[in-house]
Amino acid sequence: MDLRAGDSWGMLACLCTVLWHLPAVPALNRTGDPGPGPSIQKTYDLTRYLEHQLRSLAGTYLNYLGPPFNEPDFNPPRLGAETLPRATVNLDVWRSLNDKLRLTQNYEAYSHLLCYLRGLNRQAATAELRRSLAHFCTSLQGLLGSIAGVMAALGYPLPQPLPGTEPTWAPGPAHSDFLQKMDDFWLLKELQTWLWRSAKDFNRLKKKMQPPAAAVTLHLEARGF
Amino acid sequence: MALFSVFQTTFLLALLSLRTYQSEVLSEPLPWAPESLKVFINSTHQCLHLQWSVHNLAHHQELKMVFQIEISRIKTSNVIWVENYSTTVKWNQVLHWSWESKLPLECAKHFIRMRSAEDDAKTPEQSFWSNWSSWEEVDVQNSLGHDPLFVFPKDKLVEEGSNVTICYVSRSPQSNISCYLEGVQMQGEQLEPNVTVFNLNHVAFIRETGTNIYCKGDQGDSIKGIVLFVSKVLEEPKEFSCETQDLTTLNCTWDPGSDTGLLKQLSQSYTLFESFSGKKTLCKHKSWCSWEVAPESQEMYNFTLTAENYLRKRSVHLLFNLTHRVHPMAPFSVLFTDVSTTNATMTWKVHSTGNYYTLLCQVKLYGEGEVTQHNVSVEVDGEQLFSGLEPDTEYRAQVRCANANHFWKWSEWTHQNFTTAEAAPSEAPDVWRNVKSVQGHSVVTLFWKPLSKLQANGKILFYNIVIENLDRSSSSKFLSIPAPANGTELNLDQCSYQIHVTAHNSVGTSPASVIIVSGDPGNKEVEEERVKGTEDGFSLSWKPQPGNVTGYIVEWCDRPRGPLCDLQWKSVGPTTTSTVVSSDAFRPGVQYNFRIYGISTERVPYLLEKKTGYSQELAPSDNPQVVMSNLTSRSFTLSWKDYSIESQPSFIQGYHVYLKSKAGQCHSGSEKAVLSDDAVCCKYKIDNPKQKTFVVENLQPESFYEFLVTPYSSVGEGPHGAFTKVTTPDEYSPILIRVILPMVFCILLIMIICYLKSQWMKEKCYPDIPDPYKSSVLSLIKSKENPRLTIMNIKDCVPDSIEVLNKQEGTRKSLTETESSKPTYLYLLPTEESYSGPGPCICFENFTYNQAASDSASCGHVPVAPKAPPSQLALLTSPENLLKALEENYMNSLGEIPAGETSLNYVSQLASAMTGDKFSLPTNPPEPALCSEYKMQMAIPLGLASPPSSGSSSLSSFTLLDEGEHYH
Repeated sequence: MDLRAGDSWGMLACLCTVLWHLPAVPALNRTGDPGPGPSIQKTYDLTRYLEHQLRSLAGTYLNYLGPPFNEPDFNPPRLGAETLPRATVNLDVWRSLNDKLRLTQNYEAYSHLLCYLRGLNRQAATAELRRSLAHFCTSLQGLLGSIAGVMAALGYPLPQPLPGTEPTWAPGPAHSDFLQKMDDFWLLKELQTWLWRSAKDFNRLKKKMQPPAAAVTLHLEARGF
Repeated sequence: MALFSVFQTTFLLALLSLRTYQSEVLSEPLPWAPESLKVFINSTHQCLHLQWSVHNLAHHQELKMVFQIEISRIKTSNVIWVENYSTTVKWNQVLHWSWESKLPLECAKHFIRMRSAEDDAKTPEQSFWSNWSSWEEVDVQNSLGHDPLFVFPKDKLVEEGSNVTICYVSRSPQSNISCYLEGVQMQGEQLEPNVTVFNLNHVAFIRETGTNIYCKGDQGDSIKGIVLFVSKVLEEPKEFSCETQDLTTLNCTWDPGSDTGLLKQLSQSYTLFESFSGKKTLCKHKSWCSWEVAPESQEMYNFTLTAENYLRKRSVHLLFNLTHRVHPMAPFSVLFTDVSTTNATMTWKVHSTGNYYTLLCQVKLYGEGEVTQHNVSVEVDGEQLFSGLEPDTEYRAQVRCANANHFWKWSEWTHQNFTTAEAAPSEAPDVWRNVKSVQGHSVVTLFWKPLSKLQANGKILFYNIVIENLDRSSSSKFLSIPAPANGTELNLDQCSYQIHVTAHNSVGTSPASVIIVSGDPGNKEVEEERVKGTEDGFSLSWKPQPGNVTGYIVEWCDRPRGPLCDLQWKSVGPTTTSTVVSSDAFRPGVQYNFRIYGISTERVPYLLEKKTGYSQELAPSDNPQVVMSNLTSRSFTLSWKDYSIESQPSFIQGYHVYLKSKAGQCHSGSEKAVLSDDAVCCKYKIDNPKQKTFVVENLQPESFYEFLVTPYSSVGEGPHGAFTKVTTPDEYSPILIRVILPMVFCILLIMIICYLKSQWMKEKCYPDIPDPYKSSVLSLIKSKENPRLTIMNIKDCVPDSIEVLNKQEGTRKSLTETESSKPTYLYLLPTEESYSGPGPCICFENFTYNQAASDSASCGHVPVAPKAPPSQLALLTSPENLLKALEENYMNSLGEIPAGETSLNYVSQLASAMTGDKFSLPTNPPEPALCSEYKMQMAIPLGLASPPSSGSSSLSSFTLLDEGEHYH
């Protein structure tokens, strides 16, 4: 796992890349109806941006927890974090996912992760850490909205949360502080894995939604006349 | 002896039997043995709670008992704790006792038992114990579950510096377990095959989120850990104090001390308890708490402030009377009434704290650097009169109050400003003038200093100037200059004027300042005197004036080098003859000039003295620009006429002239000096700063020198900058130049003249060769019809004689002297007596224009040097006979003529004819010039020829001229 203190230059570079791509996004769609293409591109860019943002946040937070959680080679078994949505999936299964299921899984995962992250924010002791977590939560909320936009553009309904299954981050009385720290560690790790997976998901969707090159050529010729 | 032994044995037996009886009695169970022993476990606090009861006690019976409790670990024989617990036991009472284990209870089994005895304070050692209760086993590990690994204690909270014991319990003994503290592996002690214990001594605070301790198996499949929260020691609250502002709420404050460094949920809490009322409140803040005063008039309060966390409890107490802790609120509604130029009245209100309280108020007034303080007793409203104030001055008043009966604390200050009314200026402006005469007029620049705030008594609006002509009393002029001007310029004639200057504000006019500008400036020449300044200024003194003076004025410029000199003056009284002039504008290295004026009773200023000086003299910063002149092989002159000694940073006392030379010898008038770069040179000292030329003498020709002229003053000399290099010239070059130049000029002049007069020169020196056939002589002869007269043919030319001239050695004989000499003639042809037939006369052609003559060799006249050896002369004649004769005669005469001094004179016939006498020829040479005029040569009939003056002379003779003569 590569959860290290991300450098701010990397984040800045990524942000610049996002801003650079934003004006170019409409060019992807040469027809009058923009379709889901631009939204997918934006969502993809946002996942990359969040990925870099998380590197910095995770570095700060794991230092706050102390060793061994901030050690680069710390790789504990996944205990006590069973409620966290798993990003890891078999490759064949991942390939066979249809667009709707792919998007739904992303949406549900980030809905849960956002909820857990807000619980993390409430526990943080330092004001600076709370600010960083709140900022990241806002960005993650944006990603969730972006995924919802893509799903709406493709005509997929948003998954409805089952009543009474709202994820909470309130450890029981038997939950020790060490296990709590372990859960925090796994939350950040799973979040990063999800951002990696989402980047691949949206990249796949993006390629899928691009019209064939021949059609574009023909269209341009028609406009030329 | 035997009797004694029997008695002793009997006694010992009796004693033994007594002890046996006693032990039998003690082994009987006591009626008050502990019963119903139960053990409860508190894993969080690592505590064992024991509960038991004592039966058989009579109703209402109280018995003082001691219970001995024994605790073993792992096995019953391993007793780790024995304690006697004394208490008074009542009928039917359930007893409790707790024990905190240092080792987490989960790490090992524990066994507890107890027994009791009546607690007899008099003979505690002789207590009769009951039987031990049965061992109660405490085994927490049974309830742990089936996890492969456990670490204990769970999330313990300890104080910094404590000792903590940690253990892990492994369910799989084959697995190799490693435990880490903050990433560092710990070394433990095996307690049981599956339990290992770690002792941490003096644990330190690391972070708020606790110290992480975890263990993991070598398979990596299991990891368990705990967080050890280490708290800093909770401090006792300091400076606990309570007070009230309005008698309805008490505000208690304290200093909580340093933070314990725990998360908010683990941090300490503060509780306030009042013992008289029995009320208690949990404080929301760490350093202060509010307490509502009871509506009933409770005056005394006894507070206990308790700081408490999981580990420690700290309390402080405070007992006080409420009325003694009144901290009034700041006064309000501060107003000023009846504000005049010197008086003002201040009023204010105070917050009510009960009708029976009197407040003491403190009033402070700040104005113009002064502070006055007043104390006023106030119940509801306060009032204070300020008097003796300055006009047009802003004052700042502030008031605060405290309980007059029981002083506790002053209230906060309440501030308010006010300004007194304006009044007329109280002082005349300080006026001075500068007079310049421009084209018969006086340009008077008036200066005045702005009045101080105390003098102005308000804002000065304008200055009025009345100029009164003293010579013509009827004439006066009026000017009004708006403020904030501090001067004006007046153009006046040569009359005397009296000038009045007054300052005006909105209320009135200041007294007038009068100054007289005289038609006669009267600036007599005063010698300037030097003064020495200091950092504090210039101390100036002057001679007291015998007449009546109304005062003195010292005048100077703050910026003497600037275009505006920033004229300053200082007025002193008539009895003062010294003052110290200081100014922030004075700078080191700047020369300041001071003029001291006396003010006569007629208010006319007149110059008394001039002084000049530096606040601090600095070493000269620049060297003069030196011009070198009159460079000779032995000396040169240096001059620096443009160097101004007045603009230097100190008084220049003279100059040093440094001269570097390779020889390194210094002549008189100079001394050797070593420069900062260790170079040795000669130093000449010029003591007169006005001497700005210097002649460097005693130099060597064709030598290299370097010189530097630097000024010096009392604080040092100028910089040793770059030396100027000079090389003295050759000693003879000037002389040569003096000779060669005129010579070249003369030659050029001659050449030019020659060129211009070339025709004339040609005529004189190189005349055209006359053609004998075209000669006018021929026509003249022909006209006389002499048929025999013809041009001599060169073939017929026979030399007739050679004249050899002797010359005295060492003397050059002039042509006139040749007359006295007696030339020897060699007669090559027979004389008249021996000459039988008529023959033509011999003549020579000039070789310079007829080369063919020499080629013919018939009548050769080879131009040979007169010093040619006589033998060569033989070649000159071609006829054999002539040659022989010549040789004979020549050889004869050779013995008489010294070699080298012989010359041959060729005497032309024409010359002979013209002179008529061969002896007269030397007396009248053709020309004693550089070049001889050509004489026409011709054969003249003998009849026409002059007869020889002597018999021995021939008809014609040839004279070989001396070397100094030219020949043709």
